[in-house]
Amino acid sequence: MSHAAVATPTRSTTSGTGVNFARTLKSEWIKLVTVPSTVVMLTITVVVMIGLAALFAWQTTVLLDLQGDPEMAAQMQGAPDATSITNTIPGSGLIFGQLLIGSLAVVLIASEWGTGMIRSTMVAVPKRIPALLAKQVVFAVVAFIVGAGSAFVSYLIAQPILSPSELEFGLGDEGVLLHIVNTGSVLALMAIIAMSIGTLLRNTAGGVVTTIGLLLILPILVATLLAGIADWIPDAARFLPSSAGEQMVAITIADGALNQWQGALVLGAWALVLLVVSLVVTKKRDV
Amino acid sequence: MIEAHGLAKRYGSKTAVDNVSFTVHPGKVTGFLGPNGAGKSTTMRMIVGLDNPTDGNVTVNGRRYAEHRAPLREVGALLDAKAVHTKRSAYNHLRAMAATHGIPNSRVKEVIEMTGLGPVAKKRVGGFSLGMGQRLGIACALLGDPHTVILDEPVNGLDPEGVQWVRHLAKGLASEGRTVFLSSHLMSEMALTADHLIVIGRGRIIADAPIEQILSDQGQARTRVRTDNPAELIRALAGDGVTSQQLEPELLEVTGADSHRIARAALENQVLVYELTPLQASLEEAYMQLTSDEVEYHSHDLPQAAQAATVGEGK
Repeated sequence: MSHAAVATPTRSTTSGTGVNFARTLKSEWIKLVTVPSTVVMLTITVVVMIGLAALFAWQTTVLLDLQGDPEMAAQMQGAPDATSITNTIPGSGLIFGQLLIGSLAVVLIASEWGTGMIRSTMVAVPKRIPALLAKQVVFAVVAFIVGAGSAFVSYLIAQPILSPSELEFGLGDEGVLLHIVNTGSVLALMAIIAMSIGTLLRNTAGGVVTTIGLLLILPILVATLLAGIADWIPDAARFLPSSAGEQMVAITIADGALNQWQGALVLGAWALVLLVVSLVVTKKRDV
Repeated sequence: MIEAHGLAKRYGSKTAVDNVSFTVHPGKVTGFLGPNGAGKSTTMRMIVGLDNPTDGNVTVNGRRYAEHRAPLREVGALLDAKAVHTKRSAYNHLRAMAATHGIPNSRVKEVIEMTGLGPVAKKRVGGFSLGMGQRLGIACALLGDPHTVILDEPVNGLDPEGVQWVRHLAKGLASEGRTVFLSSHLMSEMALTADHLIVIGRGRIIADAPIEQILSDQGQARTRVRTDNPAELIRALAGDGVTSQQLEPELLEVTGADSHRIARAALENQVLVYELTPLQASLEEAYMQLTSDEVEYHSHDLPQAAQAATVGEGK
């Protein structure tokens, strides 16, 4: 750096005017795609989701073929019929997908605190809430596209795998299209939940652990250890984010379970409450 | 113009900034000087709204920073050089910052050239040296071509050439009529750059004046005198606020009388004088005098420190 020009800025007339939400969105989009590891993580998520779906499709043909009669085989596995298993193949990578997207959502916001970037962000958008909202919107949309896109590609890939067993299905079959779309919706809502947690904790490790705890550990705890404590606990477990997300992509709804839309309402409520809390807290606290 | 009124910031029981009021005027470089931990950075963070003041308020050009429609065009701030995602390139960082205000890419390239970042602009910021990080921070501050420029310790980590560049830049910006507010804990730097000084210690303003005035107020003019008869000269000068200190057998330091008066006294008393040197108080001395009670982290000589430790006094 030995040859820097000694220059003074001139008041340029081409500089734009003020901050608005569309510009903040554009800024957050630039930030998302200019950190290489983010793009790598998103690619991995897509690959994992499609790969798992293909694997699950193959496993389904093996299992159902072994029994000779697919309908009977399905019932032996506790499912009402074969389509309730085959038709959820497109979104079968969702459990891992939501962990990856959730972790990435935490990293995206917590790394701003970790690196000090947040100070640049908040100096550029000092009202703070638009900056956080823009980041949430940009990543929720990306998560939706990753989820729904992976599910759709998984649907396409699953058909040739299923067809030797005559288990293939169409987009027009009951619940299939909603299943594919909702795979994206679940990822988008999970992204908002995770990013809100990351915003509140301002720490990557803590945020990721909390998110995984909420999505993966808490349901297990509730189903095993806590279930015995009180009668209402297994009942309340239906309202955990992970359970609500599962119902959103279900093809057949068991008795007493939430249907797809109720699941969406519950998961949406989790996302909304955490989002609002994270915005209010960030507005008040020092950066 | 930056105006602070009764600005205070407390963290629990610790007061970082204590009822501070000052005005930073356009058209000149105002230095913000104080020892480490004096509250310089906290004050600057409050100016751009990163920290909420516990008390009081601070405005830039008549409004709180966050209330400006285009904050980056009002104020450009370098708060700390590491306010950048380490995995993003300098160019992309500036592009993302510029996008919030619709500032075109041509301006991004302009500030990259201006700060000499051209050769490294596409590299990850994580690999930057401290000096390059400072240049990126300054580039970011200049992005919106702001009326007010706030630079927190801008010369930290810069090579001598870079230090000189920042000096030129600050003076150039001020001469264009902009408000330039520059913090440092190095008085020597301030002496070369600033027109006006605000000195802060332990969260309180201890001086706010043009740099010449701080110099003349703090350091009384002293004169070094060499004579073969110091006793006689001391007697001749005695009284009327004049103090003389004998440093060597034939060397005096006289405070309170200018060299003309000393020469006349010597002549009238037939004393031979073979050196008469006026000593200008340096800004450094003035600063040490101003902040001697306000330094938060005193350093000790080793024996003293050991003694303090055994007595259990700590600092």
